[in-house]
Amino acid sequence: MPPILPDFSSSVKLKYVKLGYQYLVNHIITLTLIPIMIGVSIELIRLGPNEILNLWNSLNLNLVQILCSSFLVIFIATVYFMSKPRTIYLVDYACFKPPVTCRVPFATFMEHSRLILKNNPKSVEFQMRILERSGLGEETCLPPSIHYIPPKPTMESARGEAELVIFSAMDSLFEKTGLKPKDIDILIVNCSLFSPTPSLSAMVINKYKLRSNIRSFNLSGMGCSAGLISIDLARDLLQVHPNSNAVVVSTEIITPNYYQGNERAMLLPNCLFRMGGAAIMLSNRTTEKRRAKYRLVHVVRTHKGGDDKAYKCVFEEEDKEGKVGISLQKDLMAIAGEALKSNITTMGPLVLPASEQLLFLITLIGRKIFNPKWKPYIPDFKQAFEHFCIHAGGRAVIDELQKNLQLSTEHVEASRMTLHRFGNTSSSSLWYELNYIESKGRMKKGDRVWQIAFGSGFKCNSAVWKCNRSIKTPIDGPWTDCIDRYPVHIPEIVKL
Amino acid sequence: MGSLPNLETPPQISRISTVVPATPRGEENSAYNLNYMDLLMKLHYIRSIYLFNSKAVQNLSISDLKAPMFQLLDSYSHVSGRVRISESGRPFIKCNDAGVRIAESHCEKTLREWLDEKEYSVDELVYDHVLGPDLAFSPLVFVKFTFFKCGGLSVGLSWAHILGDAFSARNFITKWSHTLAGQAPPKSLHMPNLTKPQFLSNSVYDNPISIKRATTIEEYWLAATDSYVATHTFHITSKQLHHLLTTSTSTNININTKTKYFEIISAMIWKCIGQIRGNFGPRVVTICTTNISNRAENEFPTNGSVLSKIETSLSPGESEISELVKLIAEKKMNENHGLEKMMEEGEGKDDFIVYGAKLTFVDLEEGNFYGVKINGQKPILANCDFRGVGDQGVVLVLSGPEDYNGNNGRMVTISLPGKELDQLKCKLSFSCKLQPWNFLRESEQRGDTTTATTITTTSTTVSVTMATTNIATTTTFVLR
Repeated sequence: MPPILPDFSSSVKLKYVKLGYQYLVNHIITLTLIPIMIGVSIELIRLGPNEILNLWNSLNLNLVQILCSSFLVIFIATVYFMSKPRTIYLVDYACFKPPVTCRVPFATFMEHSRLILKNNPKSVEFQMRILERSGLGEETCLPPSIHYIPPKPTMESARGEAELVIFSAMDSLFEKTGLKPKDIDILIVNCSLFSPTPSLSAMVINKYKLRSNIRSFNLSGMGCSAGLISIDLARDLLQVHPNSNAVVVSTEIITPNYYQGNERAMLLPNCLFRMGGAAIMLSNRTTEKRRAKYRLVHVVRTHKGGDDKAYKCVFEEEDKEGKVGISLQKDLMAIAGEALKSNITTMGPLVLPASEQLLFLITLIGRKIFNPKWKPYIPDFKQAFEHFCIHAGGRAVIDELQKNLQLSTEHVEASRMTLHRFGNTSSSSLWYELNYIESKGRMKKGDRVWQIAFGSGFKCNSAVWKCNRSIKTPIDGPWTDCIDRYPVHIPEIVKL
Repeated sequence: MGSLPNLETPPQISRISTVVPATPRGEENSAYNLNYMDLLMKLHYIRSIYLFNSKAVQNLSISDLKAPMFQLLDSYSHVSGRVRISESGRPFIKCNDAGVRIAESHCEKTLREWLDEKEYSVDELVYDHVLGPDLAFSPLVFVKFTFFKCGGLSVGLSWAHILGDAFSARNFITKWSHTLAGQAPPKSLHMPNLTKPQFLSNSVYDNPISIKRATTIEEYWLAATDSYVATHTFHITSKQLHHLLTTSTSTNININTKTKYFEIISAMIWKCIGQIRGNFGPRVVTICTTNISNRAENEFPTNGSVLSKIETSLSPGESEISELVKLIAEKKMNENHGLEKMMEEGEGKDDFIVYGAKLTFVDLEEGNFYGVKINGQKPILANCDFRGVGDQGVVLVLSGPEDYNGNNGRMVTISLPGKELDQLKCKLSFSCKLQPWNFLRESEQRGDTTTATTITTTSTTVSVTMATTNIATTTTFVLR
């Protein structure tokens, strides 16, 4: 039995058929309603106004019935509006721009590695090969204490880095939004690997003298997808507390986590993780609607921790010499792919247009009932979103997602360029990517953005935003001085 | 001086980090070609120190000191690069932003205690730096900041001669001090004007003798020498210079701050070394000066040395100083053309040493080492020496610190095989323990006045005694 969709998709005729099909299915309600409305209006016109009045009088409606019906209508309307979830607006966000004194070019990183690992030439070779293929550029930044040979991470320098990153981002956010520190009702800080006492959120409260009845949370240990977990938490809190502002700070502090041993599986994060941070202001106040940049539409969280292999694939442990590092297993990409599939399965029905869902349903039924050999239909997410922000976890992650979701080069450009300019900044990378798209002037009102993040656990979280107003360039942000140089071509292997 | 750096255990505990240019180079600027003079000097290293007292430093932290270098290195693109060897075997510099190494260390002594113990020695205040064994990963410049207990600071620069001569090294530190003071670093540096060598008839085109083929130690860019070469710095005050001038030459010359003492100091040292070496006294010496007029600060680092030879039949140990001065002033033969020819014939692949191939006298009098200022204050001491020199010896003449009259003396840094250096020290008999200039400056601040200055001359010695209200110091220099 022939499959529903023939394989020669390069045919032009087929393209028109596809377009026609999509239009038909996506607007099916409109297309069925219009003939009905036309029919009714023709009927009404034919009847004439006198006939209509006679029809109305023959119904014998008395006052009680009219009042009850109108109360019913009002009651239903009230219940509907009350139970509607509050709209969450993203008013604005600010990303941390590292100072030039933190810059680490390739050559410097390699030299430092050679000097620190001089007893292990194999490990040095390995790091060299990773760096060549990593997709990072020459302007990524590491904190000052990591510039030493060997690095000298102390608690004090870790706090110093946290203060530098978080306070810069917050100052920038206050400037952009005009938010007063006293007006922050909810504060959520997420930083996976550095968790001092008092917490980083307490550090922020202390610095800016926030209110004593603030609802503050500090999420640690949740990996690179913690940014979206924080957004989800903020959303839930903003449903409960009316008329509130929430500030979410996403960052990763590199200083205490630089691996100083020579186990290969643990050297990879050293090559990829870089300094970065972002501060985001969310609100449910209707007054913010006019100036908010985005509206939060969906957040979908998927956790594969129930599977042992997924749980162990990103694992912090001590190596043979007792040095602590994060070990990445070889099946990381496969597990990421699985997690993504899970996430898409939940996300798909929420965002995909009816045409894609129908096709997917038909193929699914077909595979189950008729012939399991049919190729599974991968829904075309490009129809659901205009922009994609894929966590810049590494070149392999972006390549894998580009393949799985069948995205074009332009769709993943923001992710690749963020990886090149800033490296893997963990939970804040999604915000750098969003800023890239805005800086390029591609964000228009009504555009939908999909942010996907992966994290240890293994988690795949995604958020969908809808652009509330067109964003005009030039915008102030970490890309201001270099956006004109991008996009750059990133070679497969960089010659060191 | 021909020994390898001790890489296993550093002598002082220093924290090492790297400073890189603030903006990336880009692919099009990646290779910097080295000319013949750069390649000639590749086995030498220039080391200079600048000592500042606590009044100048005023609690500057290490990050304050490192920060200006990021902006500065944007204009000095090849200084942060690394040496690569091209397919033809000729070295060049790849501008890959690998950066300049910085070492920070803390000293338990005060600046005065240090100077009393180590005098003018450069040794522990600069990092022991040579290129190799991995040339591709060896930094070309190493800056060491040493913080003293009293709040003083030493800035020690170790600069690979392949990048540029001592004037270029000094320019680098001067520009750094300007950027530290808040001036914007230059957008780009201009190539200096090389004045054409004037006396073409005095040029040597073939078989230059000022250089010698060298064998390197293992994979390092450092030449092996037959004997251990040590360095010592002698400080000649302006009064002593005046005496030297009037007693050694027959003419009465007006002394002003612009007077060049290089020739007369070189002649004196040449004579002394001639006496030490006896019949093997150096009849052939090399003179190294610069051929670029007015070494401005915004110039690109370059090796602008003029290497000239002097050949004489006279025995230097028995000649008069004035005869030697005349030889130096008039009879030197420029070998640059010959050197260029020899280098290019070897396609830049050969290893040579220049300083110390023959007894070499280097004129750094014009080098304004005291122009490096921190918080508007000049250094209390600046000195310079060379590493990796040959065993025929090197004599560097630099201007000295200002004394209370505003006159500069001269610092003479001499590198010779150990035994010869000891003999020279005895011959020159400078009193090394008390430094009159330093003491006078402080005594002036205390309000002491000089009560008497006596100068006594005998046929063999000249003694200068200066007395203040508290103490008298005598310096004697002996001429035989």
